[in-house]
Amino acid sequence: MNPDLDAWFEREILMHEPALMRFLHRHWRDHDEVADLRQDVYVRVYDAAARSRPASPKSFLFTVARNLLADRVRRQHVVSITVMGDLDELNVLVDELDPSRFAGSRERLRRLAEVIDQLPARCREVVWLRRVEDLPQKEIARRLGISEKTVEKHIAKGSRLLAARLNAPVPAATTDRGAAVNSLSSDRTT
Amino acid sequence: MSEGNRQIESTAASWLARRDGVRWSADDQRAFDAWLDSSTAHRVAFLRLDAAWREAGRLKALAAIDDAGTVPKRGAWRRLPYFNLPAHAAGPGRDAKPSGRRRRWLLASAAALFAVVLASGTLLWRATQQVDRSVWTTAVGEQQLVHLADGSAATLSGDTELRVFLGRRERNVDLVRGEALFDVAKDHTRPFVVHASGYRVIAVGTRFDVRQDGNRLRVVVTRGLVRLQPANGNGQDATELPAGSIAQVSAAGVVVRHVSQALAADALSWRDGFADLHDTPLADAVAQFNRYNQRQITIADPALADLRVGGHFRLDNQAAFVRLLEQMFPIHAERQGQGIVLRQAAGTPAAP
Repeated sequence: MNPDLDAWFEREILMHEPALMRFLHRHWRDHDEVADLRQDVYVRVYDAAARSRPASPKSFLFTVARNLLADRVRRQHVVSITVMGDLDELNVLVDELDPSRFAGSRERLRRLAEVIDQLPARCREVVWLRRVEDLPQKEIARRLGISEKTVEKHIAKGSRLLAARLNAPVPAATTDRGAAVNSLSSDRTT
Repeated sequence: MSEGNRQIESTAASWLARRDGVRWSADDQRAFDAWLDSSTAHRVAFLRLDAAWREAGRLKALAAIDDAGTVPKRGAWRRLPYFNLPAHAAGPGRDAKPSGRRRRWLLASAAALFAVVLASGTLLWRATQQVDRSVWTTAVGEQQLVHLADGSAATLSGDTELRVFLGRRERNVDLVRGEALFDVAKDHTRPFVVHASGYRVIAVGTRFDVRQDGNRLRVVVTRGLVRLQPANGNGQDATELPAGSIAQVSAAGVVVRHVSQALAADALSWRDGFADLHDTPLADAVAQFNRYNQRQITIADPALADLRVGGHFRLDNQAAFVRLLEQMFPIHAERQGQGIVLRQAAGTPAAP
């Protein structure tokens, strides 16, 4: 238990998730595995930071991500450096990409509102009443005429959808170029 | 996501929702702490959901949209003056570059096709009377879009030479070296033939790419249909290549892969200054880089030439490519004057 470390992790590491996701999508062909890679990266970063906080969290995060991909490639017996792409792109990522998510409070709020709008109807209602109107779960259940257990389920689901969509690779990344890269299927064996 | 991670995230979300409820006891807190402490994977999954959930609390700023306690319609927030102020901080306008380039490319193709329609009358006369000859070359690192007199267009990659002969019955193009993407204007009376590495690549109206590296030849078709046949053949040994074909020709013969048109288009990423390598022999990859960099890479050990590499690289970033080769393979790169020599390194690559 280390509240300081948790706060540090959120502030210095989690905030870069859109850029991290873009990096992983770009350098790893099997997109189904990207969420697992992200999770592994976080575990490595958190454990390392518990021993000693890196001076530059952002570059540390991407170094860990890169090493993880390199390890994976070695374990698969495929001689491929696909995942590594261009190391120097890292600098581009780190310096330029995440501002679009954190550009300003208005942009951030707009993004959030868009993401909430994309939630399934009932889930959206529950999230709105809980986060915006600050109604207790019990009251939400009463108003919507559903069980408290169901409200809880919508909140659980809502938190997962919010995390996934707020942290989707930043829109600036999904231009033609990015799309082309992402469309590469795994034709490792031809 | 793997089943294990999905389960962890789902459990983390359940904890989050329960803790958010009214009936959260000290016992619950203890059980929750124990769950968090039992694995870093649990903790980071929870922290991530919790951060997003708290971020959603910022929406309280929008509570004024509607009457208290109701949920506004989707998109109602867009009416708020807050979102309609003039933007003092313009959004990120970057990344307009690639699409801009693409647009120009589309315009160029459209222009070519348009020119055919417009000029077909005069061209008809010229086609029967005259032979157009032209030679086009690009230097290392250069790229050029060339409009041919028949309305076709060719984009030349670096270090490429193209000799064009537009005759009455046939349109002939010699790819002397390098790589070019052809956007062929339709003309059923005159097939468009690219000669390379002892093969004829024949199209009527289509889009395809031909690359020649030494005695290796590659043809990528992104639109239409192309026929590939040995220069001295009689057509019986021709290979038909529909859109989405990637044909590799070597001394051993012709190997054709059929892929999606999108994937075939990826093989043409050199136009954007990128190399997309998929299971590509190192020799081919090196040849691509050499077309874009003054500093030439040579492979000293023949054993390395067939090593397969993949990846997405900027063609002008040769240094990164070489560095990666050294990191990932038992390869040692030696800088020698104006060149880089790749040799087999002793031992295996070190762990990171």
